[in-house]
Amino acid sequence: MSGVERFAAMGTRVELHLFGATGSDALAVARRAIEAVDDALTIHRPSATTALNASLMAGRSHAVDDPLLLAALIEIEAAHALTLGLFDPAADAARPGAGWNAIRVDRDAARIEAARPLALDFGGFGKGFALDQACDALRAAGVASAFLVAGESSIAVMGEHPLGGGWPVAIPDPLAPDQSLVELELRDAALSISSTLGAGAEAPGRAPMIRPNDGSCVTAARTAIAIDRRGSRAEMLSTALLVADAGQAMRLIAEAPAHRFLFNFSRTAAAVVQPREVVA
Amino acid sequence: MTDKDFDFTRRAFLDGVLKATAGAGVAAAAPWAVSAASAAPLSGDRVRLGVIGTGDRGRTLIRNILKTRNCAVAAVCDNFAPHLAKAQAIVGANVPAFADHRAMLDARGLDAVVIATPLDFHAPLAFDAFGAGLHVWCEKAMARTIADCSAMVKRSQDSAKVLQIGHQRMFHPTYLNALKRVKAGEIGPVTQIRASWHRNTSWRRPIPPGSTDRKINWRLYREASAGLMTELATHQLQVGNWFLDAVPTRVIGSGSICFWKDGREVYDHVALVYEYSDGRKFVYTSHLNNARYGCEEQIQGSKGTIEPELGRIYQEVPPKVLALQRMQEDVKRGHKRTVPIGGATWFPELPVTTPGDSLGWGEYDETMLQFEGFGEAVRAGKPLPGMLAQAYAASVASLLGEQAMDRGEAVTWPTDLIAV
Ligand SMILES: NC(=O)c1ccc[n+]([C@@H]2O[C@H](COP(=O)([O-])OP(=O)(O)OC[C@H]3O[C@@H](n4cnc5c(N)ncnc54)[C@H](O)[C@@H]3O)[C@@H](O)[C@H]2O)c1
Repeated sequence: MSGVERFAAMGTRVELHLFGATGSDALAVARRAIEAVDDALTIHRPSATTALNASLMAGRSHAVDDPLLLAALIEIEAAHALTLGLFDPAADAARPGAGWNAIRVDRDAARIEAARPLALDFGGFGKGFALDQACDALRAAGVASAFLVAGESSIAVMGEHPLGGGWPVAIPDPLAPDQSLVELELRDAALSISSTLGAGAEAPGRAPMIRPNDGSCVTAARTAIAIDRRGSRAEMLSTALLVADAGQAMRLIAEAPAHRFLFNFSRTAAAVVQPREVVA
Repeated sequence: MTDKDFDFTRRAFLDGVLKATAGAGVAAAAPWAVSAASAAPLSGDRVRLGVIGTGDRGRTLIRNILKTRNCAVAAVCDNFAPHLAKAQAIVGANVPAFADHRAMLDARGLDAVVIATPLDFHAPLAFDAFGAGLHVWCEKAMARTIADCSAMVKRSQDSAKVLQIGHQRMFHPTYLNALKRVKAGEIGPVTQIRASWHRNTSWRRPIPPGSTDRKINWRLYREASAGLMTELATHQLQVGNWFLDAVPTRVIGSGSICFWKDGREVYDHVALVYEYSDGRKFVYTSHLNNARYGCEEQIQGSKGTIEPELGRIYQEVPPKVLALQRMQEDVKRGHKRTVPIGGATWFPELPVTTPGDSLGWGEYDETMLQFEGFGEAVRAGKPLPGMLAQAYAASVASLLGEQAMDRGEAVTWPTDLIAV
């Protein structure tokens, strides 16, 4: 028995594939979990996040009532240092100096304030975070085997492949899609891909990746991949890798060489690696 | 159809309307339909209607009036004898027939008139009917000018007589169902309605002996009509205002006589954008030389689209991820293969073609229901709630569109309209 749910959320398409015996409403529960994250974290329509941004832009502290938004803020606060400060939802090319360092999250009081006017844009983090919520919901519903994808840049697998063993995944080379950058075997893991290349990266209206330290945009042709137990962390790490300079990238990769990859497709850019060579 | 069969389909239709309007948001957004469909048992004397203008539409209206449980055709009137004779053949020889509406009004014995003449006669005929102390049911559009539309509203208010305009979509179960699903948030907030009425026809009718081109083809001449705007767009502008729950703030447009250069005076090609609050839009095209896209209102929200003329609702479901489809097939046949997946986030770009789901069809009698509602309104001396405001706004919008095209500039919504 298996089940598939396909829908639009977080500005992209989401697919949930469940295998094995599943409760009849497991798919619906997982979908609702993802839509709830979308509703809480979106900045494209009124949400808990736009309300929070209105306060922070006006220089006010803000009581975070939405439990999903609070959980997201706590995760980012906890992982900010792990990303060397390179994942920064408050960074803004139009507002130099705005950044997570200016933010204080009071977890116990569920309050957030900022030392200067700024606004949060969770970007890819939301997709990984949403897949985490969906996995939690599926686990609670007794699902043991599942493959979840948000926009092909965020993947989460639960348990084992229905035919046994891990889930074999090959990340296509954005410049030569018949070839792979890397092949991986995943079990209870989340994978995030951040790339300045590929069809999706050229989509109109696509927000560029911003370096938090100087607010500049990443223009080098790069693809970063990160694997973690939690999708939210995988997202933060792949974003960090994409915007990292050579030294920072080395440090991030050295911490988990089998789980973090950076591919540089441009000879002219300050290359961390030789073209097409895996850093791991 | 036997009387029993008819009763059954009538009941099923009314139940359909009531079911569609059952939601809280819908009852408030279509109060006229609730009133009309729940009016029961419609016993007592029938409301006596005198039908003025028994051309194509007038005769359709007569057939619908005859189906109602509370209205009767008590007189017919047309100043073109062959059309009057056709009406008489439907209603029978004992219903009095008049060549002149004044004679019909003077003969008395009516509660209301039904006007289905060319557009430029709507207002003067309505004024005469109010003057004679009668209620008025008039086909859309209301009048040839915005001033006359306003004057009709004013006269109805001053004389405390009902004025109802023929907008059958307001009673159509598919539209009511569509509205219900919009109110339930199924397609997200509606930000744009793209509507069209495309036909491939000259719109010219043959001129029978004893008549003239201007009398038969009144739609093609400016004195009598604003062409596509008042004859077709009014219906869809009503739908637009209704589903966007507002009137436009302004309109820009371009009109031309592009294909049928046959001496007509009205545009055979129109394209307009009606702007609404919060940046919402109603984008409209109508022409007479390509029928591929026909008549439709595409009601577009962030989660889906409704096409009421087709009776379908579409969710914004993105196309399948091919690698995952293959994975499913592999697993089914016990084959484990690497899944090639991962890259920059996928963004939707291309139009999504899905069959969509049905909004529900049935045998509809919405024109009949308009008259049952009107009959009850006449009996109560009170109009069906909300109807006239919708019709007034739709007619004003159609005429404002004509102005925008004639002047070649944006025209803002008038500030001197009568409060309904
Ligand atoms: N609601 C709808 O879907 C719908 C559909 C078609 C037409 N209509 C409307 O119905 C009206 C009539 O359209 P039609 O297609 O039947 O036109 P038509 O030309 O077929 O009929 C009009 C009739 O009015 C008669 N007439 C003209 N002036 C008159 C007068 N002063 N007194 C008495 N009779 C007079 C004409 O002789 C003719 O028989 C228009 O306002 C049109 O917009 C509405």
